[in-house]
Amino acid sequence: MNFRVVEELISSLDMSMGSGFSNDNQNSLSEWDTCLLKIGKYRDKSAFKSLYEHFAPRLKSFLLRIGSDESAAEEICQETMIMVWRRAETYNPESAGASTWIFTIARNKRIDKLRKDSRPLPNINDPLFYQKPIDKSDDILQRTEEEKKIKNVLKNLPPEQAKLILSAYYDDKSHRKIAEETNLPLGTVKSRIRLAINRLRTQLEDFEG
Amino acid sequence: MNKQNTLTLVETLLIDYANGTLPLALEVLVETHISMNPASAKSIRMLLQLGGALLENSEPISLSEGSFEKLMAEIDSGFDKDREVYNNVSNDNKLLPLPLRNYAQDIDSPKSWKRIGIGLSEQAINFGDDFGSTKLYKISPGCSVPSHSHDGNEVTLVLSGGFTDEYGTYGPGDISIQETGAVHKPVADEDGECIVLAVNEGPIVLTGPVGRLLNMLIK
Repeated sequence: MNFRVVEELISSLDMSMGSGFSNDNQNSLSEWDTCLLKIGKYRDKSAFKSLYEHFAPRLKSFLLRIGSDESAAEEICQETMIMVWRRAETYNPESAGASTWIFTIARNKRIDKLRKDSRPLPNINDPLFYQKPIDKSDDILQRTEEEKKIKNVLKNLPPEQAKLILSAYYDDKSHRKIAEETNLPLGTVKSRIRLAINRLRTQLEDFEG
Repeated sequence: MNKQNTLTLVETLLIDYANGTLPLALEVLVETHISMNPASAKSIRMLLQLGGALLENSEPISLSEGSFEKLMAEIDSGFDKDREVYNNVSNDNKLLPLPLRNYAQDIDSPKSWKRIGIGLSEQAINFGDDFGSTKLYKISPGCSVPSHSHDGNEVTLVLSGGFTDEYGTYGPGDISIQETGAVHKPVADEDGECIVLAVNEGPIVLTGPVGRLLNMLIK
């Protein structure tokens, strides 16, 4: 991870406290990206509380929708948020926004729970998950624009496609349930999800602005 | 398996990687693949960002009373069992892509390999679960793996060098998929040793996760 960039961001964060935001990078970061940076840098518990209050209930709801039961959802939520606190200093706004970063940790925690055996799970800051732009364009700008585009395209999806997209994140058990309920082979269910994701990818490529 | 079906299956593997439902062997195979293939890395990045956006869009549902306080108490107790796991990346096998390093034995040491034919050695990788079997194969330039069929569906990733079989030519980062019963005879390229990672779901056909993925191709 590029510590220099993060250092610069933090110092512009410090300066902006009084004088408004001046740095371009700073402008493209979301409220929660900067909140995470603050938690990492200052171990700021009140910032962590706001982050928790925003994300934990959303994460619980998301986990319930993708197949976890109530108690598993709460447990994964808590383990994820503990990890967010402990790893906040490794958060790199070049590679992911706060919600993507938290989603990735939750994904890892859900796997841990299923396997009962921890492995050195990949960190989203790992260059594995993001290709440095070949030109010297701004990583943070590229990343925030990608995420903004996804949000905008999601907003305008027909409900049927939106449902399919969400089901890409279902656990195995939930995929089987759909297959049973719709009387379709599991392979067909998965195939529809894949096609919905491909359609979304095309929509992202076509999306302007 | 033809290129179109292979592409379809790789796309499904990437989605299942993002949602975290793959068995460990395939998860490691996919991670290794995306560390070598920018297009797949881009797909994973998109799928993780999409997960983040869906999380962000979820209607909040309150956690049970006192959850935050409980969390802070655990944090203040200071016990961090994950730290060791995260920092424990092997220094061996610097030639292998990072995701594989912790699992393979030193590929430079002859002791890590078992000779199973002319110009052909293997190394079994144990993922500590009962899912199928995973092996590294090392094929000398121009040598071949004798024509064979498969007991279970097999996903093969080229780590270095390249090979050609009845279905196509594969280079570093490429995935080749063999369905149960498919027969092929891979021949390593003349210009160098070929190392591949092969995950076979084993004799229990079409019941494991890979089999279920493959169901869609034979439906």
